[in-house]
Amino acid sequence: MKHWKKILFWGLAISLGLVISLAPMPVKATSSNQKLFKIQASRFAFSPAVLAVNPGDQVTIELVSQDVVHGLSIDGYDLHLVADPGQTASMTFTAGQAGSYTLRCSETCGAMHPFMVGKLQVGGNDLLWRAAGLALLAVIAGVWWKRV
Amino acid sequence: MREKLARWIVILLLLVTVMGVAAAWKARSDEGILHARLPEHGGWIPGDLRATVGQPLTIRMTSDDVTHSFAVGQMDMQAVNINPGEMSEVTLNFDRPGKYTFYCTRWCGADHWRMRGTIEVSGAGMEEPVKYEPPLYLRLGLDIDAEHHAQFLPSQEPSAARGARLEHRLPQQYTSWEYYISHSPSSAWQELRNDRSLSDLSDAELWDLAAYAWAQHSPPEAVQTGAGLYKENCAACHGETGDGEGVFANELAGDTHALDGHATTTPTDFSDEEHMLGAAPAVLHGKIIRGGMGTGMPYWGPIFTDEQVWALVSYLWTYQFNFSMEVTQ
Repeated sequence: MKHWKKILFWGLAISLGLVISLAPMPVKATSSNQKLFKIQASRFAFSPAVLAVNPGDQVTIELVSQDVVHGLSIDGYDLHLVADPGQTASMTFTAGQAGSYTLRCSETCGAMHPFMVGKLQVGGNDLLWRAAGLALLAVIAGVWWKRV
Repeated sequence: MREKLARWIVILLLLVTVMGVAAAWKARSDEGILHARLPEHGGWIPGDLRATVGQPLTIRMTSDDVTHSFAVGQMDMQAVNINPGEMSEVTLNFDRPGKYTFYCTRWCGADHWRMRGTIEVSGAGMEEPVKYEPPLYLRLGLDIDAEHHAQFLPSQEPSAARGARLEHRLPQQYTSWEYYISHSPSSAWQELRNDRSLSDLSDAELWDLAAYAWAQHSPPEAVQTGAGLYKENCAACHGETGDGEGVFANELAGDTHALDGHATTTPTDFSDEEHMLGAAPAVLHGKIIRGGMGTGMPYWGPIFTDEQVWALVSYLWTYQFNFSMEVTQ
């Protein structure tokens, strides 16, 4: 391969890679919405287990326990809910920075208690799309490298 | 000779080791720790405690599975939480001998209420025989398992506030305690309707008068106490809104133990007019203290004081009557 072709190849691949990993995503309408989730907690799962919200949303969670005393806390948030069966507990908070945060049961509820988790998904899952883009780029670059 | 001696020494050493381990094990399990487990896994272990009048009983407790809580029935005490992996401690003082019931106060499944144990308290005062008084529903000769459909239903929610405006028309006998406990609202309304002196009042007005009479025995403090008890002890099955749709309702409805005496039925819907307005307060009182045979309804007699049971009954009427003294219309 000629020298200038090599430079062009690497220059193109690296700059495309940078664009894919760093380009700002198009900003969606960010008027804060109110979101209500009624989560049923039973040993050893939350239902629903994935809460999708946008940054700035007013999120209300109603926790309904179906069997024993369960709790709910969210990584990165200073929140704590405890729900006894028959006593729905609720809390409201504002979703912060985009990202994925783990929901955890905060009241020991048996042997599998540590695995009683869920996810608070704030904003779109950018990371996944960027990773997919980079993988695609790598494949294309690989094929191109072989051919020239 | 020497070999024989060595053999004996080895056997002796083995015996001592085994006995030592056994003794240590026994000492450990005899530490007097009260274990709380889900009822299907054994409930309270041990389930029978002993105490003496005048000597404080200190109980160390831990949970083997989920969050439980300890309280003694009919005793004015703060329930003590019991968490797995933690030790809780409670000290109890008994001033009267007898058999006390301790129980778990935090729902841990549909069978949570089976998580009960007893404390046998002996000591001074034993000479005095405890006077046995049959429960109210027996003294009144009520069959609390009988069907009790209301014969008459109001067209709108009866209001005690509207009834209060007609207070001067209400004959005194209807507001007595004896009348209250032994009559269902439907039968009270029927008697009011048959009362010639009230013939000029409309059906709705008579229902308001009945609500007013019932409100006399359901003061706001009692309703509030009842609401608190309901939330902690009843809502898991009867539902937070009293509609019989609590989180365990499905479990009770789908029960298949009809043949072994452990049958359960759907929890009562307290917003059901026909069912509630046909029940006398003493019937509700009896159902609460005795429980429902073959329905899955627990018995609360050893847990609640009489005052608490009546407070619950008062609260249950709020699903049928508007006790608020503010006139809304």
